[in-house]
This record gives sequence, structure tokens and C-alpha cells, in this order.
Amino acid sequence: MNKVIPKHSFVGTRAVKLDAPDKATGRTRYINDLVLPRMLYAKIRRSERVHARILRVDTAKAKALPGVVAVITAADTPEIAIGVLKDNPPLKRDRVRTIRDEIAAVAAESEAICDEALRLIEVEYEDLPTVFDCTEALQPGAPVIHANRPDNIAMAHQFDHGDVAAAEAASDFVVEGAYNVHYVTHCNLGVSCCVADVDVEGRVTLYSQTQYPFIMKMDIAPSLGVHPGDLRVIQPPVGGAFGSKLDVYPYEPICVLLAQKTRRPVKLVFSREEEFVASPTRQPVEFRIRAGMKRDGTLTFRDVDTLLNNGGYTSWGATTPFVTMRTISSHYRVPHVRYRARAIYTNNPYAGSFRGYGNVQATWAVETHMDKMAEVAGLDPIAFRLKNANEPGDVTPQGARLANIDLKGCLRIAAEKSDFLRKWAAYRAGRAAPGRIKRGIGIAASLHNAGGAKIHKSDGCGTILKLDDYARATVITGGSEIGQGLDTVIAQLVADELGLALRDITVVMNDTATGPWDVGVHASRSTYIAGNSARRAARKARAMILDEAAKQANVGVAQLDLRAGFVVQADNGVAIVAIDKLLRQMHFAGEDAKLVMVTDYYEPPSENEDKNHVGDMSAAYSHAAHVAEIAVDTRTGEIKVETIWSVQDVGRIVNRNGIEGQIEGGIAMGLGYALSEELVIERGRVRNPSFRDYHVMTAPEMPKIDMTFLETGDAEGPAGAKGIAELPTIVIAPAVGNALYNATGVRIDHPPLAAEKVARAIWERAQRSTRAAP
Amino acid sequence: MPLAQELKPLEIDAYVDAVSLDAAVRALADGAGTPVAGGTDLWIQKDLGKRAYGRRLVNIRRVAALGGIAEEGGRIRIGALATMTEILESPLLLRAAPVLPATADRFASVQIRNAATVGGNIANASPAADMVLPLLCLDAEVELARWHENRIDRRRLPLAAFFAGPGKTRALPGELITAVSFDRPAAGSFGAFQKSGPRPALEIARVALCIAGRREGRRLTSVRIAAGAVAPTPIRCPRTEAEIEGVALDDAAIARALESLGREIAPIDDVRGSAWYRRHLAAAFLEEELGRVARS
Amino acid sequence: MSLEVEIAFTLNGRAVSAAVPATASALTVLRERFDLAGAKLVCGEGECGACTIIVDGLSRNSCLMPAVDLAGRTVRTVEGLWGERGLDPVQQAFVDTGAVQCGYCTAGMVMQIRHALDRNPAAGEAELRRAIEGNVCRCTGYAKVIEAALAAGQRMRGGGAP
Repeated sequence: MNKVIPKHSFVGTRAVKLDAPDKATGRTRYINDLVLPRMLYAKIRRSERVHARILRVDTAKAKALPGVVAVITAADTPEIAIGVLKDNPPLKRDRVRTIRDEIAAVAAESEAICDEALRLIEVEYEDLPTVFDCTEALQPGAPVIHANRPDNIAMAHQFDHGDVAAAEAASDFVVEGAYNVHYVTHCNLGVSCCVADVDVEGRVTLYSQTQYPFIMKMDIAPSLGVHPGDLRVIQPPVGGAFGSKLDVYPYEPICVLLAQKTRRPVKLVFSREEEFVASPTRQPVEFRIRAGMKRDGTLTFRDVDTLLNNGGYTSWGATTPFVTMRTISSHYRVPHVRYRARAIYTNNPYAGSFRGYGNVQATWAVETHMDKMAEVAGLDPIAFRLKNANEPGDVTPQGARLANIDLKGCLRIAAEKSDFLRKWAAYRAGRAAPGRIKRGIGIAASLHNAGGAKIHKSDGCGTILKLDDYARATVITGGSEIGQGLDTVIAQLVADELGLALRDITVVMNDTATGPWDVGVHASRSTYIAGNSARRAARKARAMILDEAAKQANVGVAQLDLRAGFVVQADNGVAIVAIDKLLRQMHFAGEDAKLVMVTDYYEPPSENEDKNHVGDMSAAYSHAAHVAEIAVDTRTGEIKVETIWSVQDVGRIVNRNGIEGQIEGGIAMGLGYALSEELVIERGRVRNPSFRDYHVMTAPEMPKIDMTFLETGDAEGPAGAKGIAELPTIVIAPAVGNALYNATGVRIDHPPLAAEKVARAIWERAQRSTRAAP
Repeated sequence: MPLAQELKPLEIDAYVDAVSLDAAVRALADGAGTPVAGGTDLWIQKDLGKRAYGRRLVNIRRVAALGGIAEEGGRIRIGALATMTEILESPLLLRAAPVLPATADRFASVQIRNAATVGGNIANASPAADMVLPLLCLDAEVELARWHENRIDRRRLPLAAFFAGPGKTRALPGELITAVSFDRPAAGSFGAFQKSGPRPALEIARVALCIAGRREGRRLTSVRIAAGAVAPTPIRCPRTEAEIEGVALDDAAIARALESLGREIAPIDDVRGSAWYRRHLAAAFLEEELGRVARS
Repeated sequence: MSLEVEIAFTLNGRAVSAAVPATASALTVLRERFDLAGAKLVCGEGECGACTIIVDGLSRNSCLMPAVDLAGRTVRTVEGLWGERGLDPVQQAFVDTGAVQCGYCTAGMVMQIRHALDRNPAAGEAELRRAIEGNVCRCTGYAKVIEAALAAGQRMRGGGAP
């Protein structure tokens, strides 16, 4: 009697993250823990000036220090620059433009010797005029940061749709606003780190925290005089990344240059202070918004002008307008749109990409502004947003085809679950009542790409999958695991197709020598694209197994299924043959031998934007709505976020643990952005390069989180899933800001809503009303 | 092979693991020793090499005579090595001076409370030292010892007179804090500690304020007020205390007290907060505490 | 190189000894002399808890602890929690609830929660949130960490899975 096996799916369950046992027992070795034989340590001598000519660099004393193996400066390096505009030489030759600028680097037997050697390097500077503010940098006669950009404009973007002037003329209300969003930084627990190893042929193995290993090869190789094909990128486990490693930054080429020079492996690790000063930030932006509407609250136009403080060099921060633009043009129905963005060179540190990528900033501005407009229209925040919400089938001004979306559902459920309207009215009425603690409630919604973003010629990912004689599957994916849980999602998707258990799946990733090409971890794309590719590969393997089984059993393939390691009859689950036995039969079949080894390359059905920024650039889109309920101490200005209601369209849940963890973690990061995190930069210098003075959320500060997942089921996504990890970070801050307004009547346009800023605003308003009183 | 993460080459000639007070003060006698106990301020690695250290490292962690929290003859003595956790959990202090455990509860984190000592918090002379404020309100004295003319020379100094400036104390070279002591507060005394948030503890105070005294209806007597991070050292606010002493607290009296406090503190602007905010918070804390009494 | 001091102590149940630089931290010595890389150097100033170990029953930031002060003490690290009877209940709960993402804070979190539950296996949510106020996690938002801590407490008290 053959056993009967019921159908089981790992998709939708709480799957244990594949690497969790190793991480919970201290077995995992992270890149920061990596030690290679004969390895040297490296450190970078950075500028002490924010803008200066380098007159002299003397490394003689450092070179003479026992234990120092090499000291390099620009004089030892090829004249090649890195970064989005190739404006950033890894080692600066004759000029420093920011406090983080790299002047020299040391390789030595220990970090302590490196530190001592750095102190022995003599640098003579001649200070140059400085500029830190975008508007000042645009004035005629302002200090020029890069000679080839005399106007200090590093990058400019614009988008026009419809006729804004005519729309304005036809508007009943026009609301204006200005929002300046601040510097924050990733605070990865694992500081920036790499290890470079060069073989006798000159081939380089770079152990890197990079999030885009394959494209990185092209980006970094020229600065090293190495063919991209001779560069292997291995990504050991990392202590967080969150977008910080989507570009090449100077320390990686410097590390390789030292390995080339010393012919020994070299490891370069930042100090925590260096991490705060010399790793990328989120892009700060100054928004000027004008938006119009009809008397009934129907949006008529948005006209947005932004200045981005680019800092001294150009990394991905300067390109965040690509995403900001999407929110300006496509979040709610806006028939006429004008958007201008200019990234301005200054002597500040520079921004890279950071979870939410331009949309955190955009959503702060748009959702704060929407709240103001609702009030002008005389509508509550929910009704106003519902009136203007996008619907499935909408094609936005930038050509995004919003198919399986449910913004209205997100808004309605968030409002219902939080009892929003009742509380909102009650708290507004409570502003005037006596009492130091005020309560408030606020909502915000956001739109984000949920199926990658085609910013390169391909947004694809490849998979190689093989099954061995014991029915264990190895999935080699181009996708990268950086802690977010792609490893487990892939195992779940593959296990379901092949009727195997999760522990039967080995996911091999994070090495360009084994994995097929992938764009990298960004744009909420990995589950969607790497997941789709893995699933398609698994389907090919499944077909091979079923074909063989069908032939042997003399039945149709459709009558068979794979469950729990067996080929079974699809209708009743009766086991026919163990998969491993079948695989061995296929393998040891003489000249007919078949090993199950398949490949797949998945290219999502998305488009590059045209020159006018029109194109359906993601394979899926998604919304989230968050409600924040807060208590504000009107004396101290301290905001206690009590509850967050998070409603997010996730397509379909793959790993319930993973998706909850991403949303909870995204909310924590977003709350830090809203409340406490700010990298304070004064005259180009970071004033708070420490966790003592840069406060990320800690456990006692976190609110209760009530999560609702809308499973809209994406037609293209793997098992219906969408990318989810950026939205919670994007949407939360304006919900808190809107709640503060609800509680106090005080509107803070420039985050973070730090206690002092809130206290000051409330105090100033009280002073004004005292003066105004008769 | 050197350790990869070894410190900047900090020159230490000798290490002394002192097991008695005698051994500790002898090792520190020439003023060239650095005592280490909890390490939470001393051992911050990036500061090593920037701070001045003696060339002899003297570990005092195991000196039994420096530990313990006890009462003798109406006086409570907290050994210099008592940790914040020990203060937080001391049955004696919870009964006799609960403001000390309440302050310890707002101090850093569990791990740091497990390591940081009251002696270290005083010796470090930070303007923002949390535990100093309730001790100032308790009129505590610092007990000091040094090796002098072949014997242990002990003295006591009012805590309020101990601080000379940020990071500076009036301890003599080679002198070690052995304890802090104060008279057991009279029955019916109260004390309250307030500190900037919103974190419950893990924050270097932008402002902290402690008030102690005895409540008699809407009046406070034996009033003590101390404030942190509003001056180069933690300070007592005697004029504000006098303003409040014995007065029936109403809105006008509270307003006078706040005005006085504003004159007694001299906060600065720094990255943690502006002088304006420090004044604003200090006033808010005092107003809250006095308001509680006024409404009682 | 600075002065070295010979120390002996008990590490995860075994008697060990080492010559350590007088200025080295316990963290550096555990990582580099004893190859225990679970505890991490993250902030180096007691603000993050990633280096948490348990010394004589008390959780400590090993980055702030002089290595020389390990002498004579009993030290537990995250590696020592996985024993012959399997994973520690805290470790098991972290795995089961999804409290691990990048995992860089995990060793410190596990040790700090173990410390909290050793002192009070019945600790509730508010107490546990305070217990890890000195442990920063950038990935999880702490929700699953607290869920894991509560589940581990229940298991340590002899209850089944919650």
C-alpha cells in the first residue's frame, strides 16, 4: 500500500531563515571577521580640511615605521575616478573637497601600526573658499567645486506632463509648501570593510559588502587597471547594508591597490567614527511644492522644485530624483505635473542610496502637503486621499501601469483599524484643552516600485539549479543575501515546485564566480526577480522529473505531482516513486543518462524610461498606508509613538516571518528618520559621529505595531508576491508629522521631529499667541 | 603576533592587580597610575591615546574594602566600587534613599549599569553625570584615600566642593575615591530625578535635575536641587532652594522658583541641545516636580 | 606593543589562560586569542550591546572591559550557549521567531536576553524591552527579538511553546 501525501506549500508559512541557526550560535563569520593567511591591515588618511589644495604629502616617516608594508598616495595610483559622474578619484591628487577625502593609505601588520603610521603622514594644505548651502553654491562667484562644472550643478532632472499653467488657472486652491529633509545615515552595525587578494596572474578576489556585485566589476575594474573579467567579487555575510553599498566608494579600490602593491591579502575596516563621517548618507533635499485642486478637493496639478545637496562628489544620491519624480507624478492622480531637480556640488559629505531611495524624501513632502491640502479643502485626511487615490488600471503621467494595486483598500483598512476619524476629530478638539500631554493621530500613504526598477539595460537575474542523487537541490542564484532573507524565499519557492523540504535545498549565492548575473539588491526587487528566476528554474527541473516519471508510469504529466520527496498521483496524493530513486535511475542510465541541471534567466516585463522619463519601469507597483497614534509632551517636545497601523499591499506573503520582520524593521528605521536620527553637518564637518549622539530607535522606544497584509496577488510576481521592504521606511515619517499636527496644531515641515524642535515650535506659538492677546 | 584590533600603542609600563586598598593606593602614590574599575568611561577605545593616562594601570576592581552599600550610625556609605546595578537593587537604598535607585534606573544600559561604579561616575567629573545629582541633594561627602608618608591618609570632602571643571576634580595626585557617604535622610523625605528623553535611560543627559526634601502639605523644607549638563560641573542651586524653602507652593511661588533656577544655571549650546532647550527643560522638570507638590 | 599580562579564567566552562596586552579589551582578546567571533565590535563605547558577554553572571559590554580584568572570572559567550543538549532556549527562540536578519546584533542580543531571563524568567514585555535598551538592532525593529525573549522565558519556566 503506497502512502498518501497531502499537498503542502512552504510559501506563506513562517519559514526559519536558513542562516539563523549559525547566526544565533556565533558560527557565522562575517566579512568583518574574515582573516586570510599573511593578511595585512589597511587604513586611510583622510582630509582634515573641507576644501583645500594639497601642497605636499610626505609619507617618509610612515614608511619607515616598523610593521608598515606600504603607503600609497595619488602619485601611486592610476588617474581614474569612480562614482556616478566619475568625479571621485579614490586617492585625491591635488585637492580635497570634503572632510572625508582620501589622501593616503597604509598597509601594515596590524591596525594599531596603521593608526600610528597615519599620524606620521604629513600633509600641507592651502585652504580654499568653502560653500555648504545649495542656494549659495548657485550664486555667481560661488566657490567652484569641480572645474568642469563651473555652475556647481552636478546633475539636473526634469519632468513635464500636461499644462501646469493652465491647470493652475483652473484651480480653486493652490497650496504652497517648503520641506527640507535632512541627512541621515545607514548605521550598519557591520562597519564598511573589504578584503582584497591578488593572485600571481594579477587576478583580483575582492571580499566586499557590495549589493551589486556583477555591475560593480565594471565600475571598479578601470580604477585598478584590471579587466572586469579578472575580478571576482565574493560577498560574505554582512552586518546590514540598506542601500549603502550600491556604488563603489574609494576604500575598495584603495584596498585592492594596496594588495597589488604588497602582493599580500589586505583588509580595510572603518572605525565607527569613520563610518559616520565617511560612508554615504541619505540624500538631503530642499523641496518647494505648489499644488492645486478644485473646490471639491480634486487635485489639478503639482509643481515641484528641488535642490539636492550633492556634497563634493557624485554617488547615487544625485540620482534619487528618478524615484522622487515617480512619487511627485504618480502618487495620487495628478493630471498636470512639473518637476525640477538639481543636485548641487558643495563641500559637504556626499549621499548614496538608502532604503527608500528618494521616496522617503518625496513621501515626506507629498504626504505632509496632502494633509495641508485636505485641511484647505475642508476634507478629512482619509476622504481627501480617497478622492485622489489611484485605481487599478491607471496609467500615470510617467507611464507606470498600475495593475494589481489597492491604495483605496490600504487607506480604508488603515482608517478602520485605527478608528482614525473618531480619534482624529477628538484629538483635534483636545488641542485647546488643558494638559501637558496631547495625543494625535496621522496617516500617510506611499507608492513604490514592487517589481524592480529597470535602470540598466536588463533588470534580470539568473539561476542555475541542480539535483543530486539524494534529491537534494542546489540553487545557485545571482541574487544576494544581505540579511533580508532572499535565501529563504528562494528555498521556499524551489521546495514547493520540487516537492522537497526546506532543508533539502542549499542556496549558493554571493559570489560572481558561481552565480549568474543579477543587477543587485535594490529597488525591492530580489524576491520578485531572483525569486521568479529560481522558481522558473525549479519548474524546468520539475518538468524533467515529471517527464521521466510519466514515461515510466505511462501516464500524462498532468496526472503527477511532486510532494515531500515523492512523485505522487496528483488527484489522490498516492506516492508512486521516491524522487531520489527516480533521479538515480535517470543518472545511471548509460548513454541515456540525464542529470537534472537547469538554468534560467528571468527578465521582468518592465521598460527603461525614455528621455522624457516615461516608461513602465517596474514590473509591479505597490502601496502602503500607515497610521501613527502618538502622545506629545508639549513641554519637553518628546513624542511617544504609541501605535502604528501598517497596511501594505504585499502581493502575496512568501515568508511570514520575513515579511513581518522587514516591515517592523522598516518602521523602526522610518521612525528614526521621523524622530531622532540626524547626521548633524556644520560647515562640512560631522558633529555627531557616534551612536551616543546619533540616536537610532531602541527597543523601549518602539510602538506597538499592528500589521495588515493585503494579498492582491501580482500576476507576474513569484507565487503572486511583490517586493515589500522599502515601503514601511518610506511611509512612516509623514504619518508621525501629521499626527503631531493633529495633536498640537504645530506643523513641522523639516524633519526630524526631534524633541527640541517640537518644544521650540510649541513654545514659539505660545509666545506669539501671548503677544497677540489683547 | 600583534592583535589586529589592539589599541593605538598606548605605553603602559606596569600593571597592578590591586587586591587591597593598601596595595591600590601604594600603586597610585606617585600620581603616575591610572585606576580602572568598571572601564565604561576609561576603556572607550577610540579615546585611548587622546586622554592622559598614567603609565601604570592599577586595577582596583577586586579591592573588597571599596565595595558594599551599608549603614552605620545613621550614615549610609556606598563603596566606590558599588555598581549602578547594585545601587538599583540595594534593599537599603530602596528603603532609605530611593532617589538613588531611581536615578540608577535612568543610567545608561543594563550592561553599563553592571559595570559602571559610583566612584567612576564621580571621578569622571562629567557635567552630565547622572548619579552625582541625587548625591549632591543628599549632601554627600566623597571619601578619599592616598598613600602618604608611609600610611594611608584619608579625608572627606563635600561632593559639592569636589568638582573643579569638566573632567577635573580636586583630588590630589595619587588620591583614590573610596566611598561616598551621607546621613540617612529623615523619615518622610522624598527625592525625584528627571532626565531628558525620550529614551528611558541610554542617553547622556541634555539636562537632568534632582530635587529632594521633605513635604509638609504644599510646602517643601530641607529643599535640595541639583542640575546636570547646565554648567561646567553638576551643580546645586542654593538660591532656588532658598526661594522654595518653607513656602506654600502656588503658581506665583513656582514662577519665582523657575526664574531663580534660570539665573543659577548657565547651559551651553552643543550638538546634544541648545542652551535655550536646556533652560526650557530644566524649568519644565522643576515646574513638574513643584506642581506635584502644589496640587497635593 | 604594550605590556602583556598573563591571565587565567574560565571560558564557556573550560579553564583557559593567555598573555594579553594590558590595554586590550576583553572583546579583542576573546575574538583574536580565543577565536570567538560571535561578539562584535560595533560602536566601541557601550552604546550598542553587540559585544555583550556574561561575566560572573552579569552581562557586560566586552568592548569596555579590560581584558586583564577577566582574570579569575567565569565568562560565557554566545558560542558557549550551544551545548550537548542543543541550542539554548534563547537561541532556539531567535531561530524560530525570525528574530535574526543580518544577525550582527544577534550574539549580543541573545546574551543580554539570557542574562535578563536568568534574573527573571517571568520577565514581561516592558521589562524585556528595558533589558535590551543597550542593544541596537538596525534590521528587526525589535518586535521579533522581544517575541523570541518571551518565548524563551516561557520555555525556561518549563512551559511549552507559547
